[in-house]
Amino acid sequence: MQEGRVLPARQINRDLLGSILYSPRWFWGAVAVLGLIVMGGFAAAGLMINQGMGVTGLNRPVMWGFFIVNFVFWIGISHAGVMLSAILRLSKAEWRRPATRAAEVLTVFSLMTAMLMPLIHTGRPWRLVYWIYTIPFIPYDFARGIWPNIRSPLVWDPSAVYTYLTSSILFVLVALIPDLAVLRDRTTGLPHKIYTVLAMGWQGNPRQWKLQIIAGVLLSALILPVFVSVHSIVSWDFGMAIAVKPWHSTIFAPYFVVGAVHSGVSAVAFVMIILRWIYGWQDYIRHEHIDALGRLLIVVATGWFYFFVMEVIFGFYGREADEIAFRDFQINQPPWNLWFIFFVGLTYFLPVAMWLASSWRRNLWLMSIACISVNIGMWLERFLIIIPALAEKQLFTFTWYTYAPSAVEITIVAATFALVSMLMLLFARVLPLIPLYDVKEGDILKTEIQIGRRTVPATFRED
Amino acid sequence: MAESAHHSSDMWVFPRSAEVTEFVTRKTFTRPGPVTLAMALTGVLLVLGIIGFVMKAAQHGFDDHTPWGYYAAMFSFVFMVTSTGPLAAAAFRITKSHWRRPLSRVSEIFGILGIFNILLFIPLAIVLPTLNNPDVGHHELALRRSIWFEGPIGSPLWWDLFGVIFVGINALALLWLSAVPDMAEAYEKATGFRRSLYGMLAGFWKGTKRQWLIHKAGMALLGAWYFMLLIFVHFIISSDYGQSMIPGWKDAIFPVVYSLSGFQSALGLILIIMFILRRFGGYQEYIGISPFWSASKLLLAFSLLWCYHMFSFGITYWYGRTELEQNVLKYLLFGSYGGVFAGNFFFSFVMPFLVLLWNPVRKSDWGPALAGASALIGAFLFNIRIFVGSFNAGNVYGEFITEVPPPVYPGLSDILIVIGGIGGAAFIYLLATRIIPIISLWEIKEGLLYQKVDTFIRGRYLVLAKPE
Amino acid sequence: MADQRFDHKWGMVVDLDRCTGCQACVVACQSENNIPINTKDLFLQRRAYEWIRVERYWEGEFPNVKARFIPIMCQHCENAPCEPVCPVYATYHNDEGLNVQVYNRCVGTRYCANNCPYQVRFFNYWEPVWPERMRNHLNSDVTVRSRGIMEKCSFCIQRIRRAELKVEQQERAVLDYPTMKKRNFLPACVSACPTNALTFADQSDTTGPVNRYFKALDDHEGGESAPRAYRLIEEVGTKPNVIYLKKVDKYPLKNGGGHG
Repeated sequence: MQEGRVLPARQINRDLLGSILYSPRWFWGAVAVLGLIVMGGFAAAGLMINQGMGVTGLNRPVMWGFFIVNFVFWIGISHAGVMLSAILRLSKAEWRRPATRAAEVLTVFSLMTAMLMPLIHTGRPWRLVYWIYTIPFIPYDFARGIWPNIRSPLVWDPSAVYTYLTSSILFVLVALIPDLAVLRDRTTGLPHKIYTVLAMGWQGNPRQWKLQIIAGVLLSALILPVFVSVHSIVSWDFGMAIAVKPWHSTIFAPYFVVGAVHSGVSAVAFVMIILRWIYGWQDYIRHEHIDALGRLLIVVATGWFYFFVMEVIFGFYGREADEIAFRDFQINQPPWNLWFIFFVGLTYFLPVAMWLASSWRRNLWLMSIACISVNIGMWLERFLIIIPALAEKQLFTFTWYTYAPSAVEITIVAATFALVSMLMLLFARVLPLIPLYDVKEGDILKTEIQIGRRTVPATFRED
Repeated sequence: MAESAHHSSDMWVFPRSAEVTEFVTRKTFTRPGPVTLAMALTGVLLVLGIIGFVMKAAQHGFDDHTPWGYYAAMFSFVFMVTSTGPLAAAAFRITKSHWRRPLSRVSEIFGILGIFNILLFIPLAIVLPTLNNPDVGHHELALRRSIWFEGPIGSPLWWDLFGVIFVGINALALLWLSAVPDMAEAYEKATGFRRSLYGMLAGFWKGTKRQWLIHKAGMALLGAWYFMLLIFVHFIISSDYGQSMIPGWKDAIFPVVYSLSGFQSALGLILIIMFILRRFGGYQEYIGISPFWSASKLLLAFSLLWCYHMFSFGITYWYGRTELEQNVLKYLLFGSYGGVFAGNFFFSFVMPFLVLLWNPVRKSDWGPALAGASALIGAFLFNIRIFVGSFNAGNVYGEFITEVPPPVYPGLSDILIVIGGIGGAAFIYLLATRIIPIISLWEIKEGLLYQKVDTFIRGRYLVLAKPE
Repeated sequence: MADQRFDHKWGMVVDLDRCTGCQACVVACQSENNIPINTKDLFLQRRAYEWIRVERYWEGEFPNVKARFIPIMCQHCENAPCEPVCPVYATYHNDEGLNVQVYNRCVGTRYCANNCPYQVRFFNYWEPVWPERMRNHLNSDVTVRSRGIMEKCSFCIQRIRRAELKVEQQERAVLDYPTMKKRNFLPACVSACPTNALTFADQSDTTGPVNRYFKALDDHEGGESAPRAYRLIEEVGTKPNVIYLKKVDKYPLKNGGGHG
């Protein structure tokens, strides 16, 4: 059912640039509140850097904790962008149009946030010059013969993430150019100058459109391998560890990628609902879009569930006593068993049950609950993969311990959520979060087909 | 629709609605020379296969599983391709892809091979070694290393047997349900045996709205159920007959690779059949380029995914470098079956990738068919590598694979079994195409309602409806 | 005899039959290697530093009970899982078979500690603090590690280096086991062990106590000559340079005890 009306271009401009040109009154208040939480996170990180990693809850068997869980979580969220804009663009799904920009921007910001996590995690950020190319234009410390160890997954990881970040930013910029030109023509003063530079002389002539479309399709195709590699390599941070048996599983790479898409697309659906609510974009983010996201999510969630079941089954496969004992610990023993039930229920059974009904998919409140539930579940998933495996890693019981996060860790994790929200809001203040030209293009291609007495929505296609 | 009958790009074709039934049923009820020849040929192969099977059984009996490696590989190949075949129709119907319409029945007819698969599976059910080790020796386990904790009643045998049976039944049900409207329509034109068969199977069909709604819901439900059932059966067959036979091999991604090989090779075979139908079968008016173009993108995706999953298996084992992991890599990937793996990798990934990389090739009929043939060969080599390897990996009750056995080459009976099994499957498929229309009449006609050519600014473009 | 130098590859043998669990090795290691003082807090946080630790397990149910001890230190694996995962080469294998840690390179990803099946890597969660009066007791041959750095047993590499320097470089003599023992070049834990449960030497040094065990395990995997010898968690494929000798249980527990 095609719900949207075809709107005049002038109105599309006015509505979608509203967040920039007529900023609502609550805006700076919201940014200030989020900013305070972010400052709290930075203060906590500062305290940790000042005092040492001792202020966290980490200990000897559990050397990786909340920070790494949160790192994997945000990397996962970042997979929404390519999933929605590249894959759906290549597969010509019409309903992707309003969601692409938000997904891409969420990708960029969540990647940036994710990369903060290892920085904080090591406790001495300045040392990372030895490890990753953190500061622009300052390469590895080759002069002193200190080379990175390319055998380490921790070197593959930043390489993949930075490639992904770079290409995602490019992707956003290419898609932004036509909209930047619209902005350029509607602003004055300093903003006008900035938009003029960013719009790169866009006139909207056929040649420019052709180049822009080719660039978009090319970037979509080229970004796909990067997209898959990023979370695969994040999974190999764990999968390569032979001493932590539950991690050393061949399925980790696709399992993590599908999980990432699952949480990422849910996050985008939630962001769309929030945007619709705060900016009143009812005409653009329609129920049909959220509905389509919900249907996509059923498939993604079920794929994820398949990989999850495989992972658990092959934990038992082979009847190794230690592996079975670990699974028992992870699934049966308190307190993990409670978390485990929450994790499976929140990630799969609750949201998928909700998505199965079309009327529930079209209810924004229920959809928000389902999407938040997925993300809580996916956060717990990473937690349950990382922590119990480390807590009882050694074959001997002597060094076994458990883990409880400290206030510092909780603050920093909370701050990352505030940071991403704040960055999204600030982005909405300066650049359009829904692509104007994409919406207009979709409107132009819309038509109808008469079948008997029914009118069915249809689209023009070039092939 | 006369003006649109020759759409410029040949991507989408519009047969005249009134002629569809007449044309397709006429093609179905006749048996041209080449088809007769192919049926005779495959029939001979089937007989040879039976001879090979009898030779094998007389020579080795069913007590020991090791001589049956090539039989298992053949079964797995036939099962992998033919059981995954119907999935294409089911999946693309659920995603409401219009380009699937000419492809649906080609894919669904594979359902007829469900019975063949069940028959093929019976010897394998007999030779599967029990979970309980009959005599426990030094460095041996009392129970084989497999997921199934209790034997014999909870043993893999029953799961596998019922899995294959249910997949067969479900595939047949899908085929029947999809063909009901067509058979009811062809009833008028049919004579003799076909007429009574159609009357029996589809006599109740009147085409009322209620019947169509039930039909639609039934197709969706059966399709979704088939998908889940098939993935599960792929998992149990691949792990019980492949993985658990190599002691200690524990690889969670293997069933996924198996399923992917299945998707890839089944789609490949469907594209080959589509190519033959279009080029030599006289179905140009029904099969445009668009199914090739769209399916080839999926085939490319499957090839890439196959490579990705193999890589993520390989890198985990390579990095782990325990003795078990090294031995598995040496045995299946680089040592004993290194040559087969090289072929498998080339045909399953390199070749389809290089062919399908190019959009003009994807937009042809021969390119996707070529890549499909390559994927089919790759899947065959995959099954040889895995199942011949796992059936000859030494003591199945061992702790883990401590030494790398040499490869096993096929004997005469093995070759006969392999060609016979594949030939038999082809024979049955050909037979089925003479009874059930190979182009789904109702889907084509439905599709005609949903598409038209319309003016957009200055050009004429295709318009596709997206019904919800 | 200067030409008869060993191509060193160090090895340790731990005889569990001799270990009484007295913890002398732990104390010796603490003072030799400038290991921060393990306070009660550190133990409660599970962040205590024990480059060598004596794990104690109870066998049987009280009163029919026995204590079992196993000293565990870095196994200096030939195929060490901790080495490839370090992104900055802070841990690597040197040509004497030792797994060495470069404190200055360590950035603190703690991946090595996760990937160590023996749990013998220690992270400095806090800045180590010594009481003022102990400042001058620190070993000047050993780096004092600051917070944020991973550390672990080095087989007292400072002693090995001193031995090589004095005996091999300056005196041009052979660095064999009797020399090492007489001149106190053995690792601190070994020289402190009152029951000689810990022994250390070059693996190919026939005058040393470890040669026969390494030879037995490496040549014929167990064999007749060393029936008690085994390596810890060797199924992971780490190939440790430490060999353990099984305990000889002369008086086993009645009715086999309970859980181990």
